[in-house]
Amino acid sequence: MASDDSLPTLKVLLIGPSGAGKSALLTRYCDNEFDPESSTATIGIDFKIKRLAVHGKAYRLTLFDTAGQERFRTLSTSFYRGAHGVILVYDISSRASFLTMERWFDEAEAHTGPGVALFLVGAKLDKADHNREVSSEEGQALADSHGAQFCEVSSKTRQHVRDPFHKIVEQILASPGLTSGTSSRRGTTVRLNGNSAEGYLSGCSC
Amino acid sequence: MESLGDTLWDVVICGTGLQQSLLALALSRSGKKILHLDPNDFYGGAEAALTLQEATAWVERLDKSGSRSSSVFRSASITKSEDSPALSFSRAYSLALAPQLIHSRSQLLNDLVSSRAYKQVEFLAVGSFFIFQPPSEASEKPTLNRIPSTREDVFLTTSIPAKAKRGLMKFLKFVLDYDVEPKRESWQPYTDMPLSEFLSKEFKMDTQLQTYIITLTLSLDGNLSTKDGLAVIHRHLSSMGVFGPGFAAIYPKWGGISEIAQVSCRAGAVGGAVYMLGTGIESIDTTVADQIQLQLTSGDTVKTRMLVKSSEVAVEESGVSRLIVIIGSPLKMLFEAVVEGQQKPAVAVVALPSGSLTYTAGKTSPFPVYVFAHSSDTGECPVGQSMLYLTTMTTPDAEDVLGKALQSFLDAVGVQPSPDILYQLYYERMAGTVDGQMEGSILSFPAASPSLAFDDLTLGPVREAWKRVLGDAADESAYMTFADREGIADDDDDLYD
Repeated sequence: MASDDSLPTLKVLLIGPSGAGKSALLTRYCDNEFDPESSTATIGIDFKIKRLAVHGKAYRLTLFDTAGQERFRTLSTSFYRGAHGVILVYDISSRASFLTMERWFDEAEAHTGPGVALFLVGAKLDKADHNREVSSEEGQALADSHGAQFCEVSSKTRQHVRDPFHKIVEQILASPGLTSGTSSRRGTTVRLNGNSAEGYLSGCSC
Repeated sequence: MESLGDTLWDVVICGTGLQQSLLALALSRSGKKILHLDPNDFYGGAEAALTLQEATAWVERLDKSGSRSSSVFRSASITKSEDSPALSFSRAYSLALAPQLIHSRSQLLNDLVSSRAYKQVEFLAVGSFFIFQPPSEASEKPTLNRIPSTREDVFLTTSIPAKAKRGLMKFLKFVLDYDVEPKRESWQPYTDMPLSEFLSKEFKMDTQLQTYIITLTLSLDGNLSTKDGLAVIHRHLSSMGVFGPGFAAIYPKWGGISEIAQVSCRAGAVGGAVYMLGTGIESIDTTVADQIQLQLTSGDTVKTRMLVKSSEVAVEESGVSRLIVIIGSPLKMLFEAVVEGQQKPAVAVVALPSGSLTYTAGKTSPFPVYVFAHSSDTGECPVGQSMLYLTTMTTPDAEDVLGKALQSFLDAVGVQPSPDILYQLYYERMAGTVDGQMEGSILSFPAASPSLAFDDLTLGPVREAWKRVLGDAADESAYMTFADREGIADDDDDLYD
């Protein structure tokens, strides 16, 4: 697939506590893969790009993982810059993971602009029958209190894995204020690969 | 998850200032086990960009440590107008502790491009340089004269008489290859003499033109040698037009160098480094061979083969004084593109030459004051406001000089009614050690220079540290040269309606 820089780019972050299943969700959505053995922190991928067509129009969705910086809560302010949406992920089989979400909402809200799209995801839905520690209602209530959308997914069984991505993109596209700057990082931004122009030391020697 | 103490780290890096962060970036593909700490609970160290809340805490912390402070910063204080309804919320601001310009030909930019880290940073154009002109009569207003930025600009300007223009043009051409024979011969006799003398004798420049040239050097004491001056002017002029017409330097959006540090740390994390903020080193134990044991302020004990830290210890009484000001006006006239096709600049530079300010009965400013004005395009303040960074050499009167410079600058800009001063942060930043140190497996970076333009000398110690960590495996040609780390989805495009 061609990576077409001219497409409008949407930046979406996946945040949440270590081991919540952020990377599994990302890998399942982007590559349709699931590795039940993988439990280590994600190394080596800065972000994933997925081309997405919504209502006949193409977008370039860039998905940023926490790169392990969630472990000691050291995500930088620069990580959050320009994000159109944030997907907050917890593990429905871990009460402890759910209890950290209020702080993750606080961090996301503090570092992003007003009106940024928020989506709460309860991951590991495949464990619902035997190991569920957080009810679906609790998840929904937390999401509601922050004006976020909500769903539960299983990266293992693929259940609902596309929903958070589709719905957050729809929400982003429905808020014109969020996307006004997407197609252009131009404007005031200098491109380091641009061509040189006339200066003191170029041009005619007069 | 493995606990910190179970791992034998290859290197522990302490501090997330630019040098340590660039080291993390340089090592991000090395496979080395890296633990990266910072005693502050924000990234960037001495180059950090602070929110208003962080700035308040920073000032309080400096106050508390008082004279015992080992920090390069001192005498910090905040002045806020009592009821500033125009002041927005804390996070709407980024106060850059190191608002350095980066010349287009700086090696730093080459490193950021080859390492792909530049993709996460937005760079803005540094536009016009102005000279402050005090009024000739007390009843008049001071003015700002723009220094022409390109050859075409020199031709068009009306502020320089035709005869002086010839001298200026001759000089600009001279600088192009000043360091090759036969040109070198012409300035060698002046090597260690003041640049102004060379300009006056060899190019018949009057004081006004000399000031133009010296302003371009951003020299803090306004008195640099011919040799150093020519090198700095060459850097400036050869950077002109590299990334677009009419500008020679760029500035990272959202707080300058701090942003580069953060993006570099992110690259380190993507490469597997573990990050802890608000955690410093309590004590260092080197009694076990080939291993350093560190007691961290978090209570953890960790083992590492190498330790890299900074020597952020003030060793000299000289330094710079800075006043960071939030202004309740966009000061639009400073940020206009003056060359056709020029990127809209977000930064303007104004020099108030030595002697141009009378700050108290009969006393004039002993050193130049530089004002870096930032528009809201830098993301450092809300739309409708602007940021000013005033810098001068530290003297006992520096705070008064900067206060006077702020008033005079606003007079010269001439916005009516005079814009509100919403917030001021004053501090002094002392010079640190110039040389790095290596004791066994403990390496200290020299403190970064407080210069106004980024100095490529900052990069040397990073490369040295990188070599030390990698040892024989260091391949110099591969330094900071990486492929993209974007994961393009393997799956088909996602199409839905």
